[in-house]
Amino acid sequence: MTNSMRVVAIGVVAFLSQACDSTPPTPRQTDGTVSREPAPPPPAESPKVPPTPPGKTVPREGEQPSRDASQKPTAPTRDTPRTTPPVPAAAPRTAPPRAEPTPAAPPPAAPAPTAPPPTESHTASPAPSTQTPATTLRAAAPQTAQAPSAPTPTAPPKAAPLDLGSLEQRLRDTKAIGVFTKLSLKNQVDDLLEQFREFHKSRDQSMLSRLRQTYDLLLLKVLSLLQDGDPALARDVSSSREALWGILVDPDKFKNL
Amino acid sequence: MSGRTKVRGSIGAAAIVMAGAGPALAADDPAVLKDLTAVIALQGQPCGQVVTATKQGENDYAVACKDGSKYRVFVNPDGRVVVQKQ
Repeated sequence: MTNSMRVVAIGVVAFLSQACDSTPPTPRQTDGTVSREPAPPPPAESPKVPPTPPGKTVPREGEQPSRDASQKPTAPTRDTPRTTPPVPAAAPRTAPPRAEPTPAAPPPAAPAPTAPPPTESHTASPAPSTQTPATTLRAAAPQTAQAPSAPTPTAPPKAAPLDLGSLEQRLRDTKAIGVFTKLSLKNQVDDLLEQFREFHKSRDQSMLSRLRQTYDLLLLKVLSLLQDGDPALARDVSSSREALWGILVDPDKFKNL
Repeated sequence: MSGRTKVRGSIGAAAIVMAGAGPALAADDPAVLKDLTAVIALQGQPCGQVVTATKQGENDYAVACKDGSKYRVFVNPDGRVVVQKQ
């Protein structure tokens, strides 16, 4: 019996000792009145949490919820209001950073596409050399085109307008314009010359713009008739446009016509 | 016989005159048509293109345009080209 009593006593002592071991949390739970079991871990962690930066606490809590996921939901919320509020807040803050880094991982992929252009540009460094010749060719082409084209049209026209007699004869002889058309053009030229006579008599400068318009229209008709059948004469007539106008406007030169 | 020969001769002459007069009046020369087209355009009249021209006299044509309009193109005694709508 004594042995049994001893065993029982030992068992009771052991139970009590265990009970004492488990009780300490309860006095600690005085801070957290609501939860018994969850409280112990939070207080133990909460003191650790404040000193440590939120970034470190979050992973710990993230790991713990997996353990006490069903138990802590209430405890942390109430205990945390003091300490954890920053923690949960930190958790979402830290979580996004994690989410960001993961997207950041794809961005590296994105930079890769962006990188290709540079790589292409680097690899295309020879290409630029190929492009530059093209551009140089393009740039050179206009220059060469402008250089020859500019002198050619200007040179012959200046020679042609001086010889009005030959222009008139060429207009009479050209086959690009029919007889009726030539006669009709002569009629219109005569009408224009008559208007110029009136202009020089009246010296009304307001007529000049109208005369210029009529002159341009008549010359346009002549050019349209000549451009297909006698392009050389059309070019010479076109180049002598201003010289002819100068003769028509100048009273002295006009009298000598 | 003499009467018959006279009749035949007169008929032949008339046929020659008629045959000669027909082609002479029609101006199918493309150069003339183009010239008349240009004249009408120079006068500012709507035509488009002269498709047929009939010569009515010296420097006198009756023309039909592609758009259906008809004109008389001639040179008056003053030496001016006139486009007259018909």
